[in-house]
Amino acid sequence: MSQNALETGTAEADVDTDSHQDSDVMVEIRDLRTYYEGDGLLGGTPVKAVDGVSFDIKRGETLGLVGESGCGKSTLGRTLIQLESATGGEIRFDGTDITTLSGADLKDWRRNAQMVFQDPDSSLNDRMTIGEIVREPLDVHSWKTPRERRQHVKELLDTVGLQREHYYRYPHQFSGGQRQRIGIARTLTLEPEFIVLDEPVSALDVSVQAEVINLLEDLQEEFGLTYLFIAHDLSVVRHICDRVAVMYLGNIMEIGPTEELFSNPANPYTHSLLSAIPEPDPTAHKDRITLQGTPPSPRFPPSGCPFSTRCPARIRPPEYQDLDNELWHQLDTLREVLRERDRTEKTVTDRIRELLGKEPHFGTIDEIYAELFDDQEVPPAVEEVLDDAAELARGGNEQAALDLLGAEFGSVCEGHVPDGANEANDTDAEESVEPDYHVVSPSGRRSLCHRHDADADYRKPEHVLDDRHR
Amino acid sequence: MSMNEFDDMRLRDRIAANPRPALFWLVGALVLIALELGRIADGVLRLGGAMGLMVDMVVTIPSSVRGAVASSFGTGAGIAAFVVTAFILLGIVAIIVKWLFIPWSLVDRLGIDVSTGREDILERLLVTGLLAIVAAALVWTPVGGLFEMLIGVLTRGVEAVGSLTTITSREIIPNQGYQLPDGSWEGTFLGLSPAWAWALRVLVVYAYALTWLAWLWKGYEIFREHYREADWTPRDDSINRLRTHYWGVFGFVVVFMFVVMALWAPAVSPVTAEKNLYSPYEHEIQYQGDDGVESITHGDANMNSRSRGGDQNVGLMSYDDYDRFHPFGTNADGKDLFTFLAYGAQVSLVIGLLATVLMAVIATVLALITAYYKGVADLLAIIASDSVIALPRLLLVLLLSVLFMQANHPIAEIYNGGLLLALIFAGTGWPLLWRSVRGPALQVSEQEWIDAAKSYGQSPTATMRKHMSPYIAGYMLIYASLSLGGVIIGVAALSFLGFGVQAPTPEWGRAVFEGKSFVSTSSWHVATLPGLLVVFLVTGFNALGDGIRDAIDPQSDSGDGSAAAATGGGG
Ligand code: SF4
Repeated sequence: MSQNALETGTAEADVDTDSHQDSDVMVEIRDLRTYYEGDGLLGGTPVKAVDGVSFDIKRGETLGLVGESGCGKSTLGRTLIQLESATGGEIRFDGTDITTLSGADLKDWRRNAQMVFQDPDSSLNDRMTIGEIVREPLDVHSWKTPRERRQHVKELLDTVGLQREHYYRYPHQFSGGQRQRIGIARTLTLEPEFIVLDEPVSALDVSVQAEVINLLEDLQEEFGLTYLFIAHDLSVVRHICDRVAVMYLGNIMEIGPTEELFSNPANPYTHSLLSAIPEPDPTAHKDRITLQGTPPSPRFPPSGCPFSTRCPARIRPPEYQDLDNELWHQLDTLREVLRERDRTEKTVTDRIRELLGKEPHFGTIDEIYAELFDDQEVPPAVEEVLDDAAELARGGNEQAALDLLGAEFGSVCEGHVPDGANEANDTDAEESVEPDYHVVSPSGRRSLCHRHDADADYRKPEHVLDDRHR
Repeated sequence: MSMNEFDDMRLRDRIAANPRPALFWLVGALVLIALELGRIADGVLRLGGAMGLMVDMVVTIPSSVRGAVASSFGTGAGIAAFVVTAFILLGIVAIIVKWLFIPWSLVDRLGIDVSTGREDILERLLVTGLLAIVAAALVWTPVGGLFEMLIGVLTRGVEAVGSLTTITSREIIPNQGYQLPDGSWEGTFLGLSPAWAWALRVLVVYAYALTWLAWLWKGYEIFREHYREADWTPRDDSINRLRTHYWGVFGFVVVFMFVVMALWAPAVSPVTAEKNLYSPYEHEIQYQGDDGVESITHGDANMNSRSRGGDQNVGLMSYDDYDRFHPFGTNADGKDLFTFLAYGAQVSLVIGLLATVLMAVIATVLALITAYYKGVADLLAIIASDSVIALPRLLLVLLLSVLFMQANHPIAEIYNGGLLLALIFAGTGWPLLWRSVRGPALQVSEQEWIDAAKSYGQSPTATMRKHMSPYIAGYMLIYASLSLGGVIIGVAALSFLGFGVQAPTPEWGRAVFEGKSFVSTSSWHVATLPGLLVVFLVTGFNALGDGIRDAIDPQSDSGDGSAAAATGGGG
């Protein structure tokens, strides 16, 4: 990773030492990375599912982890309980770096951290009785005598709201909510301190979701559990979590106390995510921020800020400061379209059309241009760049067109070194600038965005969003 | 007694608490066993003999390796090779012994503290060591002699039991005799005609087998009602579905009839193979000739009752000139075709089962490993199986069997080449079987319960055994029953070409081969009947496989892709 990440790391460490003093930290995660190797045997570009995250989990709290599907939140949860092995970084559990454990030590440690899985249909082996399922962790760790194990399992079934007689039933005989309770009982058998809840209610009927959530809350109180609650549903998160981390493309964009983050988000991504929830207060004038395009592939994350390809508050280069919002929007759309075209596999017919000098099937560049810019007033300087880009794209070279547009309209968000930056940075122009975490509230909430940088003179995300999208 | 206390008991305790139903069933089973004790003892004896032969062969492997290595690399290398080979063999045996007979962990008992990964290896090493001590004691100390004596005594005991008559024996219901001029029969059961006597014996055999089947079912019901903890299991539904699956039931009936025919071959055939097939000139029969009762050897009688078309024919359900009854007629050599086919069923069943079990074991283990570890393990297995599949199977089988037979390899002698055929079919058949279960295995490995097992530290082998293999087992049963049909056809095809099981051991394919030139004559039955039986049997196995699949997996219907894959597995 670049030097920036190192600096980021130290910046966080400062923040964390602050929080260290007033609360008991249980898990410390530092620059954690989990990459999946490419499909081919010989490697290929790895998928960067978790790409350098750092945060703490305090004893007894519920930390929410939210984000779109595919953002790496499940992988992060799985790495925390060592279902995936980390590519780099540290996970310190009460001081021990568990990424270095193996063999008997790892097996021993596993008693401390368990996971409730998303799909109750898939998480229980339906050829085994409920008793066998819940008892298995005890058998694996040779806990006391078989008789005591059976007794313990029956008590646990009681605890999670099932009956002792269910010991000899099979999973088929239970509803989704009951099956999830069985799964929860299984995670409790080894009396762990830390439990990862991977979307524990998203596969359940709405009517039983609340019951299971209440059960989880009761259990937390009774056994003093610490939860990492991975979720899709923001209203559940708001209800159950003490703190929330917002994830995008393998990075944590913002992390802080739930109420504060929900009522006054700092990061542009958090803004867009929250604007998707229907507002309970009809008088509040809040429009939905629709994000452009789809998230980029975690195999090829953009340089600079991970959110830069879609950010509604992206910093614009000073020389084009005066361009119309409308035109900016069209420019962004153009880049997204080009990206999409670049990503799409060309079919054989497309290639033949290209060879014959015809445009590939999905709309010609000229059609796109007509659609986007016909009713716009395009200044000559912009016009020139656009024409060059069109030329490249017509030749089938979308990547070159994108590079050109990026060089012209990109900014610090896309990793370009700002003009005002010092000479030292200028020398290696290859190095891209990445945003840092900034503390955005007295509670220690942090957000990953250039706009919070007090040294540079950027406007706050909320104002920009107000201007551009309301 | 409260519900809870009952729950906490093991099966043994539960039977002790309520022994009557279990005893009732046991008494019935004992009566059934007693009725056929002689035959069962006979079977045990033959099985023991085969095992002894196997053990003898395996035991000679290290010495022969030593001989081979020593002749080219010197004595030292020879001894080293001996030790290494012996150790490998012991290791393999140790895995089996550990799996079958030692349910608890030696490592735990001895209180040795090692990491999880190494625990399994250490455990195996310990068992291997124990076995090595036992082996050494058998070879170099008087214990070996004692052991041999013990086996001898045991064998004689079982032999004595084996000579007991049983209800299905031909001494009790004899079907061979001669017809007096007045039309009555001498020497047959109650003076019935040989045809009726034979039919009666066959009836008794099937009635006995059916009773066993019913009694086993009764036992399952008793267990379900009185001793099982769960009042419902997913298996119940599968069994119910199989019972109402008529195509599957048809398959089951066919397979059942075939298996009974093979197991009771000496009882259902009109004449024993020993007298009629193997040494026909050493046994005599009596018949009513022109000058009263005369004697003739089976061989000579056979010569005069050949079915070779035209006038020379002994067809279905007919007597020959020597008052012998032939339900399926005779073959081209005058031998009784039904006897030939009944014993042939035995050969087919043994080869088919041996080959199928071997390949099922290989395929299952491989499927578990490749699905759990994926990546490189999977790739290696794909390469290996593709290389085997790439060769035309029948040619490969042909090549190998000819090779071994020409070289007079000791393996080719066992069971008249039957063992060799089974090994060859297993060696060439596992890739298809593995391919068929690879998909289901991968699917199971994606389930969250595998992740859950990993998350609380379950070992990979235990995960494969407990959480993956039950899901593959069903599929394995299906594909194995299909490929069993394939092996039987394959063996028949090889024998038809003259390369499979050698004469005089009866085999269905050879029956077709020997009769093929008479298909258009009056002796059409010689080739047609065995051919029809092969088709019938393979259809039966396929039907049973279909039934099991639908029973296990109600979502799949017979017309989908897996059915195509299944037939492909039949090879
Ligand atoms: S740095 Fe901030 S403004 Fe720039 S793209 Fe990222 S989130 Fe948006």
